[in-house]
Amino acid sequence: MSRTAKILGTVFILFWLLTALAPGLIAPGDPLAVDPAQAFHAPSLAHPMGTDESGRDVFTRVIHGAGDSLYIGLAATALGMGIALVLGTAAALAPRWLDGAILRVLEALYAVPSLLLALLIIAFTGPGVGPAIVAVGLSTAPGYARLVRSQIRSVKNSEMLEAATVLGRGTWLKVQNHLVPNALRPLLALVTLGIGQAVIWAAALSFLGLGTPPPAPEWGAMLSAGRTYLHLAWWLSFFPGLAIVVVAAGATLIGRSLGGKVNAA
Amino acid sequence: MSPLLEVENLSVGFAGQLAVDSVSFELSAGECLALVGESGSGKSVTARSLLGLSGGKVSAEKFSVLGQDATAMSERAWQQMRGNSVAMILQDALMALDPLRPVGREIADALKEHSSLSKPERTAKVREALEAVDLPEPAWRMKQRSSQLSGGMRQRVLIAQAMIGDPQVVIADEATTALDSRLTALVLEQLRALKNAGRAVLMISHDLAQVAQLADRIAVMRAGKIVEAGDTDQVLNRPQHEYTRTLLRAIPSGVPRFQPLSLAPPKAAVVAQEPAKPARMPALVVEDLSKSFGKHAAVQGAGFVVQQGQTLGLVGESGSGKTTTARLVLGLERPDTGSVRLFGEHFAPQREAQRRYLRENIGAIYQNPLGSFDPRYNVGQLLTDALSAGRSKRGASYRTQVSRLLEQVELDPALGSRNPRELSGGQRQRLAIARALAPRPKVLVLDEPVSALDVSIQATVLDLLDRLQQETGTSYLFISHDLSVIEHMSDTVAVMYRGSIVEQGATADVFGDPQHEYTRSLLTAMPRLR
Repeated sequence: MSRTAKILGTVFILFWLLTALAPGLIAPGDPLAVDPAQAFHAPSLAHPMGTDESGRDVFTRVIHGAGDSLYIGLAATALGMGIALVLGTAAALAPRWLDGAILRVLEALYAVPSLLLALLIIAFTGPGVGPAIVAVGLSTAPGYARLVRSQIRSVKNSEMLEAATVLGRGTWLKVQNHLVPNALRPLLALVTLGIGQAVIWAAALSFLGLGTPPPAPEWGAMLSAGRTYLHLAWWLSFFPGLAIVVVAAGATLIGRSLGGKVNAA
Repeated sequence: MSPLLEVENLSVGFAGQLAVDSVSFELSAGECLALVGESGSGKSVTARSLLGLSGGKVSAEKFSVLGQDATAMSERAWQQMRGNSVAMILQDALMALDPLRPVGREIADALKEHSSLSKPERTAKVREALEAVDLPEPAWRMKQRSSQLSGGMRQRVLIAQAMIGDPQVVIADEATTALDSRLTALVLEQLRALKNAGRAVLMISHDLAQVAQLADRIAVMRAGKIVEAGDTDQVLNRPQHEYTRTLLRAIPSGVPRFQPLSLAPPKAAVVAQEPAKPARMPALVVEDLSKSFGKHAAVQGAGFVVQQGQTLGLVGESGSGKTTTARLVLGLERPDTGSVRLFGEHFAPQREAQRRYLRENIGAIYQNPLGSFDPRYNVGQLLTDALSAGRSKRGASYRTQVSRLLEQVELDPALGSRNPRELSGGQRQRLAIARALAPRPKVLVLDEPVSALDVSIQATVLDLLDRLQQETGTSYLFISHDLSVIEHMSDTVAVMYRGSIVEQGATADVFGDPQHEYTRSLLTAMPRLR
């Protein structure tokens, strides 16, 4: 990774972390404060992103919405990767029959389009932040699990690990020195890519009214709410949409450059 | 009669770099010329340019193929020539044949292209061609696909394919490199028959001993240039150029043990003296080792002893069970029957935890060292990891030991910060040796350690192994398919055939007076210069 890319990436991550943890520092207003007299103001100095149908400041809402959106994205990816690590490692190290059984389950899950799987899960649990996390997490898990499995298997069967056995390394040293770094480090890049994807999915679920319930300032929900007024107030949908694009694109770029680094090493 | 090939100052360049630099030779009917050189010498590019396939920028003062000016030939004219009047026998029979088509049809393609024969006539001609290369049951075999044929049959099919158009010039580009010694003898026989039938044969090879059997003249190539050319007898017996001498010296067969194959730098010169013979004690004892994979018996009842400070050469063709034997000895596979003992201690079959303390006594070196290195480690980290038994990969306290190891295998200690991928093949193998030596093992298992290396590099690595054995008294189990390497390196030899050891004994006895049928057939196929 070049120096500039490193600095840009770090700044990007720090900015969104700050936004998510302390939105009040950037946008001191109340994202839920209703003021009907101020409804549908176009972007101006007072309201850089305009106001919505209830006169709430869109900028304040986008900033305060970062917490929820990123939280869902991170938590869902963590859940998906957690399940994947358990299943993938188990499949890679298990006897053949268990490996086969786990693989069949993963393939069945993989065959269902992820968003459809998420919708199915929410159909059982009902909408909400928690169910959205579970839905997105579960639907990304099969893809990750197959990658974890193939990564671990390829390193496990490598000449490198055999050479370590011949040099008399115990199981723990082999896992710690060779298996984990070589098999799992490349997944770090994948996780970063996955966060961007998960943020989009979380927004999609909220857009469909299945994620964060209104009036909470979640980006997908804001997009959905703004859709009704698209012809007279474009800023209602544009700025939450822009936030989604920026976060997803940023995470993808960081993931790509991490991936490039891993591949080059 | 004018020569079939005339080449004067031929140069082939790729992106401004000359791969072939002012090469001149000619070749007449009934003659065999060998282009000999190591990888990157430009010999294959030269051969391919004779078929208009070099893919680079070709220039020459004179470049005529069968009397036609090849510098001005169109792609169409080349197509007319390829497979018809100039044919090429390729190295890898499995890659060169379409896996989905019967081999007979593959061969007939050239006839379709270059002749006006009817289909039954073509079929008859293909059968004739297959008969000419001694393929058993040609009428049946020609309907099979390449995957249904053995390696030897495939190579015969390739020769038949090259011959079908009745070419005047035949180019054999490393046509025997991937083959074991008996198939090599067969291919050489076919080439000799072609030569005697009045064809011009151009042999491309890295192996001087092998081309010596067939070539009338030899041209030695290095870095795109022909450094020496002349009659076979003159090049082999009165070489003029230093590089030719290096190549000849590097041929291991017939060179007594511990006599250097390379001109070692003075500081590393070995005093050619017999090492102080320790009391003979078996270092490695293998008894009745067997291993099956499913129904396939890879190793059956193999037994041998490696004496302390000595080398046992395990020789056999690919698929004979050599590598499985190595893996059983190293405890990487669990044997079905039999046992392995290291200095009297039980090593296999044994639980890993119980034999781990013995591991520092036995090390391994593989054909492809890069695969056995952790790709994240640089040279220094790799050796530190080996020295510290995996507990550290940076520790400054190991720096002097790392330098000493690198010096021991004649590598520059400044290479410590490099990644192994940046090293040459020979340097990588030296690094692998250094790593194996780190725990000071008493036995080394070397599985085809020099098979991937050029002859002159192979010579320096073999010399290094010799020197290390004299200095440290390490015992070697040396596995190779190359009889001449085995002959030079071993005190005792075991010959493996289809999973069993068919003959073993002192090297001079086995090579001088082989008892088993198979050993005899191997040895008659072995090219010898000395």
